[in-house]
Amino acid sequence: MAVDAAGAGRAPARTPGAPPRRTTRPRRGGRLVPYGFVSPFFLVFGIFGLYPLLYTFWVSLHHWDRLTGDGGFAGLDNFQDLFADPDFYTATFNTFSIFLLSTVPQLLLALAVAWLLDRRLRARTTWRALVLVPQYVSVVAVALVFSQLFGRDFGVVNWALQHLGLISEPVDWTAETWSSHLAIAFMVMWRWTGYNALIYLAAMQAVPRELYESALVDGAGRMLTFRRITLPAIRPTVLFTVVISTIGGLQLFAEPFLFDPQANAEGGTEHQFQTLTLMLYKYGFINNDAGYASAISCVLFLVIAAVAALNFLVTRRLGGGSGR
Amino acid sequence: MGTSLIRRSLAATAGLTTLLTLAGCSSGSTGTSGEITLTVATFSDFGYKPLIAQYEKTHPGIRVQERVSQLDQHHNSLSTQLSSGSGAADVVAVEEGYMPKFRQVKDKFVNLAEYGALRREEEYLPYKWAQATADDGRFVMGYGTDVGGLAICYRRDLFAQAGLPTDRDEVGKLWPTWQDYFKTGDTFTAKVKDHAWFDSAGNVFSAMMNQTEVGFFDTSDSYVADTNPDVEKFFSDTSKAAAAGQSANLVPFSQQWNAGIKQGKMATITCPAWMTGLIQTAAGEEAEGKWDIASVPGGGGNWGGSFLTVPKQGKHVKEAAELAAFLTSADSEKKIFQGPTGSLPSLTDALADPAVQDTRKAYFNDAPTGKIFAASAKDLRPSFRGSKDQQVRVPFANALQLVEQRKASPDEAWRRALADAAKNLAH
Amino acid sequence: MAPSLTTPASRPDAPTALPGAGGPPGHPRPRRRRGSGPRHFDSAGPLAYALLAAVVLASVFPLYWTFVVASHGDNSVLGGSTPSLVPGGHLVANIRRVFDTVDFWKALGNSFAVAGTTAASNVLLSSLAGYAFAKLRFPGRDALLVVVIATVMVPTQLGIIPLYLLVTDMGLYGTLSSLIVPALVSAVGVFWMRQAMEENIPDELIESARVDGAGHLRTFLHVAWPGVRSTAAVLGMFTFMFAWNDYFWPLIALPPENGTVQIALNQLAAGYYTDYTLMLAGVVVSVLPVLALFAVLARRIVSGVMDGAVKG
Repeated sequence: MAVDAAGAGRAPARTPGAPPRRTTRPRRGGRLVPYGFVSPFFLVFGIFGLYPLLYTFWVSLHHWDRLTGDGGFAGLDNFQDLFADPDFYTATFNTFSIFLLSTVPQLLLALAVAWLLDRRLRARTTWRALVLVPQYVSVVAVALVFSQLFGRDFGVVNWALQHLGLISEPVDWTAETWSSHLAIAFMVMWRWTGYNALIYLAAMQAVPRELYESALVDGAGRMLTFRRITLPAIRPTVLFTVVISTIGGLQLFAEPFLFDPQANAEGGTEHQFQTLTLMLYKYGFINNDAGYASAISCVLFLVIAAVAALNFLVTRRLGGGSGR
Repeated sequence: MGTSLIRRSLAATAGLTTLLTLAGCSSGSTGTSGEITLTVATFSDFGYKPLIAQYEKTHPGIRVQERVSQLDQHHNSLSTQLSSGSGAADVVAVEEGYMPKFRQVKDKFVNLAEYGALRREEEYLPYKWAQATADDGRFVMGYGTDVGGLAICYRRDLFAQAGLPTDRDEVGKLWPTWQDYFKTGDTFTAKVKDHAWFDSAGNVFSAMMNQTEVGFFDTSDSYVADTNPDVEKFFSDTSKAAAAGQSANLVPFSQQWNAGIKQGKMATITCPAWMTGLIQTAAGEEAEGKWDIASVPGGGGNWGGSFLTVPKQGKHVKEAAELAAFLTSADSEKKIFQGPTGSLPSLTDALADPAVQDTRKAYFNDAPTGKIFAASAKDLRPSFRGSKDQQVRVPFANALQLVEQRKASPDEAWRRALADAAKNLAH
Repeated sequence: MAPSLTTPASRPDAPTALPGAGGPPGHPRPRRRRGSGPRHFDSAGPLAYALLAAVVLASVFPLYWTFVVASHGDNSVLGGSTPSLVPGGHLVANIRRVFDTVDFWKALGNSFAVAGTTAASNVLLSSLAGYAFAKLRFPGRDALLVVVIATVMVPTQLGIIPLYLLVTDMGLYGTLSSLIVPALVSAVGVFWMRQAMEENIPDELIESARVDGAGHLRTFLHVAWPGVRSTAAVLGMFTFMFAWNDYFWPLIALPPENGTVQIALNQLAAGYYTDYTLMLAGVVVSVLPVLALFAVLARRIVSGVMDGAVKG
């Protein structure tokens, strides 16, 4: 059905009151109008999204000082140095470690919270709203606040752990790999758990109640209905949140950047919490080596693309039920 | 849900946005009434508040705005602003360690010689003047604000507890050399538990590096840290002291460092003049009189100190140059020294001025800070800075922290510092 | 983190409540399983309340603690052997110091300008493009749509260095435009609005409007737009939040004195001597307006987030 032709062709007969120019305009300009509607996106994406990404690859093949510009073709030197740099592997490990530490417990906890919220509660909206509060605190605020809470000497976390008898000596959270990853993962978790819980809750509420009822009749307990009915029904949603968390989690910057009191993008004395994005910032905007930083970008891009493609395939296969 | 609620909030947002955008656009550096706003960017409190108030009073039509960032971020954004040609403040402080780096792009700065700077050469300590000039002195990139000088701040009460002398002259005699300083540290830590000898190995290392003429880079700007025996020795001495438990393991200028000072966790802190202000703020009123100041091991020295520069991209470079000259005048520098920040003048006359020489700090047990710091600033051999000094400094500081965190032996830390520094030089 | 990439619920705009009325207490949605006999699996026991209370406590405690520190006179509140949990009386004084130390008004204004403009333009441009993709036929449409979908997942943040070089070349460095222009419209938004158009606007409606002689723009405004307004509002909200919270790019593209709220916050943490009561008072100032807005619109936002979720 050619909307344009049909509309323009029949219009004069059906609406005699319409001004005459209206009858011709859709026909002549009409063909281009759809392109006009979609062009802003392609323009903006082309200039500020695609072009920089392609240009990143170009820059990565050069010696390129951010301040003085192109310093000559370098071939694959930047990549060679990068792959020979132990820090790169540390950063890759950190990125995935923090990502997993923050995502897995976060989504599990979100499921539990959603499960708790998915029942008849007094003041339901208030509970939902309260769970969502951390989402409204900016990343920078979260990082500044939690860096204090995780302070070595006077941090609330150490104080609490000591009083509970879980540790005898205060933990120097920034000093070790595990502790810094935990602290950073905690910031991410705190901010996003409630949000994901609400998304799961929405999915849970779409599960037909009759399913539960028949399960109850069959004598299934609460845990069992959750495992047998709720979980399978919301699996596409879970997969989707995994995808989202992946893209954000692999590009983590503000939390590890601000967790370090010196904020020099070193990510600790042994780069124990330097993520790939942090490393990219260090070389690109502190050391001003745009070429090397671009090489990091390229590699990070491939990593994310691979993980996202994997996610996409899985989502498509398992999430087909959600349509679209 | 009220759709008109959405429409209204969208409309309100749009309206507000337009308003704010307009407001943002009109708040350029020139007001409508012909009033000029000059911005002064520094990386810690330079003690300029009263001076600015004074300047605004004597220069109607000029308003001065201060903006303060963290040291490294300040210089990083200056790099960006210089390369992009916009965004820099009218008057920008550059720390001595960063000066060589920015001198490489001196074309982006106003040559203050065009605004009568050459007249001021006589006023300055010769090495301070030399650090800010190029082209055989014809290009003046900045006016020196302060020099660090170098001394040791120490806690009298903790020294007494350890059976060490407390009088500042006798304390100074404890450590003619850094070896003696660390040896005294051993004595101290053996006697006083729960208190460290110094705050941070990084600070001690910085002080030592600032006493040597050639540090990370030789005078032709080649990297020599891996072959310079001085660097290795300084690193080894400090890291061994840290490994022996002399360090309070406080990351300099962090919250823990500030809190550590408040709790008196360390007996000594290497002390350029500007450090006295920080200690006083961090330690608070209840520690008044507990701190004192003695001379530094190894003779005089300088740590830190800055310059005021005027980037060319500013709209009011003439006025900015005048302001920079005012803020670095002998009179201003004297006032700053007597003020809470305590930064030491970089002008010969100001240093010799009785107002400076006779200055004592009540907080530091009435120590004659004027005499102590002025003497150290005059005695020193200026230390050469490479253009990539800052890039190299971080790995060494990190490596020392590794030792403090008990994550590496001094030898391992040294190797790591060299490897990381090489990497930072390569990329 | 990216804003939600999820598709909107397939819910045509339900009959709306009176404007301004927040709806009756309880749930705004008609479809509900309430009150149809006792169903014990559905009810919340004391344990559920207790667990939820624990979750809420964990969500709110860091904010309370921030408020406590921000209301004290100096850093000594942090140096005690026991963390202080009692508010002091210096909150107002500290907030005043925040405004004295950094130009927080300007930062708030900048953040509002950037977030507001990008939200408005995303809603407008995404709706137009979504409309074209869902309801108009034109050669190359499907191929172009595939491009949009493919770019949804592209982490454009990784082109940050050329983006910086580009923005500098265009003379946009340090201006709010450097934040706004690259974010005018996103693939997520276009995709999202296309879904909404596809599901909520019957083709017949469009057709009859066209038959009545309405032009594209007119059809869009009077037929398509009313049907997707609520999805558009959610998109606007997410875009606003995302722009408001962004830190990485403003840190690079703006000088500190012309920054956004996030940059201003970071400025408070700068300097050799970090004044924590001041810094956390800044956090309070940055969080309060958002939380106040949130309190007013809580119901709307909660349902927006939930509507934004994929339903299984």
